[in-house]
Amino acid sequence: MTAVTDTSRSASNKPSFVVCEGNEAAAIGVGLARPDVVAVYPITPQSSLVEHLSQMIADGRLQADLMNVEGEHAVMCGLQGVALAGGRTFTATCGPGLAFMFEPYVRTPGLRLPMVASLVTRDLLTPQCVWGGQQDAMVVREAGWIQMYCETVQEILDSTVMAYKIAEHRDVMLPINVCHDGNYLSFGVTRVEVPDQQDVDEFLGPPNTNWHIALDPLRPMGVDPLTGGAGGAGPRNFVRYRKGQVRGMQNALRVIREVHAAWGERFGRYHAPLVEEYRLDDADYALVTIGSMTGAAKDAIDIARDKGEAVGLIKIKTFRPFPLEAMVAALAKVKRIGVVDRSVSFGWNCGPLYQDTLGAIYHTGRAIPAISFIGGLAGADITVEHFARAIALTREAEWGRISSEPVWLNEND
Amino acid sequence: MGKCFSTLQFHTSRCDGCGDCMTACAQAKANTDDQAYSRIHILPKTAGEVVELALCRQCADPICVMNCPSGALSKNGDTGVIDWAESKCVNCLLCTAGCAYAGIVYEAKVGHVAKCDLCDGDPACVKVCPSEAIEYRTAARIFNAYAGKEDMFCRGLSACHGCNSELLIRHTMRMVGPDSVVAAPPGCIPGMGTVGYNGQTGAKVPIFHSLLTNTATMLAGVKMQYNRVGRDVTAIALAGDGGTSDAGFQSVSGAAERNDPILFICVDNEGYMNTGMQSSGVTPYGSWTSTTPVGGQMQGKRTEAKNLPIIMTMHNCSYVATASTAFLEDYYAKLEKAIKVAKTGMAYLHVHAPCPTGWRFPSGITTEVCRMQVRTNFVALWEYDPENGLRFTHPVDRPEPVADYLKMIGKYRHLSEEQIAHIQRTVDEKITYLRQLTVMAATRHPASVH
Amino acid sequence: MRSKYMIVGSSHAALEAATAIRLIDADGTLTLLTRDAHLPYSPTILPYVVSGRSQPDNVVLRDQAYFNDNAIVFVPGATVVSIDPAQSSLRLASGDTWRYDRLLIATGAAPMLPPVRGLTDVPFHVLRSLDDAINLRQAMGQARSAIVLGAGLIGMHTAENMAKADIAVTVVELQSHALAGYFEPRASAIIERTFARNGISMLMGQTLRSVERKGDGCLATLADGQTIAADLLLLCTGVKPNIGFLNGSGIEVDTGILVDDLMRTNLPNIWAAGDVAQARGFWGGKVINGILPNAVGQGRIAGLGMADDAGVTPFAGVVPLNTYSFFGQQAISVGRGSTGSGFEIEECGNEADGVYRHIVLKDGQLVGIATINDFIDAGIMWQLILRGTDLSPVKAEFIANPQLTGRRLMSQTWR
Ligand SMILES: Cc1cc2nc3c(=O)[nH]c(=O)nc-3n(C[C@H](O)[C@H](O)[C@H](O)COP(=O)(O)OP(=O)(O)OC[C@H]3O[C@@H](n4cnc5c(N)ncnc54)[C@H](O)[C@@H]3O)c2cc1C
Repeated sequence: MTAVTDTSRSASNKPSFVVCEGNEAAAIGVGLARPDVVAVYPITPQSSLVEHLSQMIADGRLQADLMNVEGEHAVMCGLQGVALAGGRTFTATCGPGLAFMFEPYVRTPGLRLPMVASLVTRDLLTPQCVWGGQQDAMVVREAGWIQMYCETVQEILDSTVMAYKIAEHRDVMLPINVCHDGNYLSFGVTRVEVPDQQDVDEFLGPPNTNWHIALDPLRPMGVDPLTGGAGGAGPRNFVRYRKGQVRGMQNALRVIREVHAAWGERFGRYHAPLVEEYRLDDADYALVTIGSMTGAAKDAIDIARDKGEAVGLIKIKTFRPFPLEAMVAALAKVKRIGVVDRSVSFGWNCGPLYQDTLGAIYHTGRAIPAISFIGGLAGADITVEHFARAIALTREAEWGRISSEPVWLNEND
Repeated sequence: MGKCFSTLQFHTSRCDGCGDCMTACAQAKANTDDQAYSRIHILPKTAGEVVELALCRQCADPICVMNCPSGALSKNGDTGVIDWAESKCVNCLLCTAGCAYAGIVYEAKVGHVAKCDLCDGDPACVKVCPSEAIEYRTAARIFNAYAGKEDMFCRGLSACHGCNSELLIRHTMRMVGPDSVVAAPPGCIPGMGTVGYNGQTGAKVPIFHSLLTNTATMLAGVKMQYNRVGRDVTAIALAGDGGTSDAGFQSVSGAAERNDPILFICVDNEGYMNTGMQSSGVTPYGSWTSTTPVGGQMQGKRTEAKNLPIIMTMHNCSYVATASTAFLEDYYAKLEKAIKVAKTGMAYLHVHAPCPTGWRFPSGITTEVCRMQVRTNFVALWEYDPENGLRFTHPVDRPEPVADYLKMIGKYRHLSEEQIAHIQRTVDEKITYLRQLTVMAATRHPASVH
Repeated sequence: MRSKYMIVGSSHAALEAATAIRLIDADGTLTLLTRDAHLPYSPTILPYVVSGRSQPDNVVLRDQAYFNDNAIVFVPGATVVSIDPAQSSLRLASGDTWRYDRLLIATGAAPMLPPVRGLTDVPFHVLRSLDDAINLRQAMGQARSAIVLGAGLIGMHTAENMAKADIAVTVVELQSHALAGYFEPRASAIIERTFARNGISMLMGQTLRSVERKGDGCLATLADGQTIAADLLLLCTGVKPNIGFLNGSGIEVDTGILVDDLMRTNLPNIWAAGDVAQARGFWGGKVINGILPNAVGQGRIAGLGMADDAGVTPFAGVVPLNTYSFFGQQAISVGRGSTGSGFEIEECGNEADGVYRHIVLKDGQLVGIATINDFIDAGIMWQLILRGTDLSPVKAEFIANPQLTGRRLMSQTWR
């Protein structure tokens, strides 16, 4: 899909405008971050993203090295090498590709490599399908990567650039998945504003990937040596290391906020960094959403508000690290809650977002009724009508009358 | 640091006593075909015996020199040759009393003692020997060039007794030098401590304990970034056969296909020796391993090893070679090439590493086992590049029976006659196949064969 | 002055010991004291200095640069006159005292003067030092006749040199044949005949009863009464170890210094090697066999021991050995002759064409071999004796062709 360029391209330090799909917006964001190496391997619905990047490199618009590898596993491994040698990296994947990448993927946070990778979320096999859904991302929510979910095509572009600044922050040094929904955002075309390159250069600064751990003959070290077993110094070292990794995650909550604020100041677009509250302050009850579904959800909220319903919305942008404080503050404002997931938690008979929201409710010190909605699996649309139903059910949620079953929104579509 | 010298090696089993060497020596030293002037003495076979040799061994601690009252003999510090100065010699023959091998003898026709001087490093005898029974061993060059270089691994690596992998990696990294990044996937090489423990390292170069599955690609990434910033860094993998042929194969294959500029060394001990001797894709037919055991229903591995180095040539990457630590000169020559090649393309070295612990043989005979692998053609030493094709670097035209190799090793102890015959057949087939490749190479590139 | 390692002497035993010490200990102070005024040389070279084949300045075995490079202090003109083991010290003729931690006595031997009446009144020569050789060569320039007393190696060699310098030579030997220590009468006969053919008068079984001065030379009277006048008198009647300075030191001596198989004397920290040492004989007893290879081998053992090398191999025992060239011919002898029953003797050759071979075997092992104009490798024969190699499987071959068989055997051990 070729981007349509706005004719009124501005001069230096003025943004330009393009009309493009979400995957291209991600590619444009990557280009602005000037990675050293982009590793590519195609998979639906991510493929056009790496195609755009390949073309940008082929055209000389992006001065990165292109690594054409034989699978997602190799993608992640090759990029680890680049990062350990000091380079800024990018790749994108999803679904089965992510599953194949899993072995080196889970190692990246432990190596504290500040990589940025797009996760163009897709439902996981089986049943065999190539459509959107967030099951892939939810499966790896405990893998140690930061996860930020985008709502719009513009947010994809902006978040992709911001992700480098967050990941490479000295207090974080963790990899980030910038997640956007397969189909709805990947191929959804809108007008986006493209910040000026020089502005982005100033915003990001030079890459900072391997000051802490490097494969560099000028600073020889054993990278990730073996850890001895029980009885020696092994477990002690391991715990110290893990704690550091967990601390990095928690630091990220602060850094994500700072970076989003800085982005807003410089480029005039303020995206909610962790949690967005929508018409929440005077709400009795609210929906919790994540990703692109939020657009339709906000429309449904507006309609309900027009009808006098005191309903609001809490959108989660940053799911890992879990924005506990922000969620607690938001949840404290309402008496009932409905959580809409685009994936399932197999063991809990609900959605993963729902489950985490229950955890946050505990921290409010006040139990409130909550319903789990599951929708948008396998690329299904969650429409305003679906959300209206969710709003209606949530309004009625009362202790003792909540089904132990989740509500499957697309069940009867 | 002492110095090593090149020397003549005599293989009695190859010598048929033709005496061409003696004629050549007489020619070189006295301009005559009269073998009485030769300084190398081939001692003819007697019944049931083999040909023997009397020749100066250029001893390191030469008694002939000590015995010389005139200062005519001296050990040359540059060449290692025991030099004889005619102007000082008084013909007292005391030197001959110091030599246990008749390396310096009175030559009646010349009227004084005479001895081999190695023809200034280009021995005439070697060049004429039709059966390669006399070899000029120049391995000393390796020692002189590299022994003084820094060992890139720490002391006290805990490889098993008799393991040649430690020898191999220490040699290799001395040559590769400090401007390098090493990746070692799970296996014996990390297991012996190279990647370090508990926050410490086992190497003096940057080393990464890579995944079993990703070594080649990960190094390709390292190299890509250094190329990008204009730094000359050798990216080198020290991998086992599992990390190369099995779980690691996709990564290796991908890197080879892309011709990523890395040096990948597969240290092939024919299985997962670090984790308890399980079978891998290159475990040879018939081998006992802990996952191809010997019992009533099973007599060791039932399928053939995949021919990994040949598969690598099919990727058309820049350089592929096999090597054995019993033939270090051969290995060094290949390693030298590989290091150069790996600046621009992928070099793959497949080095055989018999494992005393996992294969069940005494730790003192590892090098002997390595040597027998080659002498039986169980392992063939060759090299390949896309331009010149495949060529043997140490052809063994009269191989010893493979049974002689198998019987050195415990993991083959159970083999039946039929199994041994089967192995011999596959070894023969494999060598025939390789020969065909060398013929193809020669006909394809007649001019480039020097 | 003090040295960790102190070596007295600067000839073969001393030099080999120094080399061995430096193999093990690169730094320990190491000093060589020698009576001689020259840089080290070999007594064996002296006949060639006498003949003019070797120039006195071209026979140096180690130069000063070598000593510098190896941190060895070389002190020529230093004659040791006494040793005080209790103080670990020794005194020089100059009055200087040196202290040592470990001491090697490698003072070799000096010519033994025969009990001949009138000897103190006549000018005579010996041949043991470079100065001796230079003097003799000078004297030969003026002489037309000479008497050589003693038909040992030195006497025979020098007689040949004199004959070649057109001097009329008479060799007088107490034994019934020349080179009796090394050759059987039949072999000696070949050598004697060659000498006679070259104009040398060989008086075997004879001795000098007295000498008197006659002009610049002497007039000698033999035991049988005949008299010979000569311009030059050379005494080659054997050697005796240089041990005079050990008197009162407590070091145990017999003919020479008694040593064990590691060349240690009876006193701690004192070793002896070479012509001065009386060491294990290969066939028993404690013997002195003043030959160069023994000095080399013993010097090495002593040096390694002094430097505490754990791998030092004990001395295997003295086996006589001799390689001798005369008038362009070769005589080689290794080992000894038969000394009783149980020996097998194989003799062949032809006196007329000057080729001769004599092999002595016992229990399938080589005991001795001597040849004339029939080249054998002395080193190989020596090893066959020392190693006690069983020759019975190849006995016939060995007797027929000792050179080839010996080479084959040693080539096998090499592999
Ligand atoms: C003319 C001649 C020919 C020979 N030919 C042969 C031969 O063909 N084959 C063979 O095997 N052997 C031969 N020999 C014997 C051989 O040279 C000796 O066996 C050998 O030199 C012994 O070495 P050495 O180190 O024990 O003692 P020597 O060579 O005798 O050296 C003794 C050293 O001690 C020094 N010294 C002595 N006393 C003192 C003191 N009080 N203080 C300080 N320094 C002292 C001397 O200066 C000298 O440096 C020959 C000897 C001579 C003289």
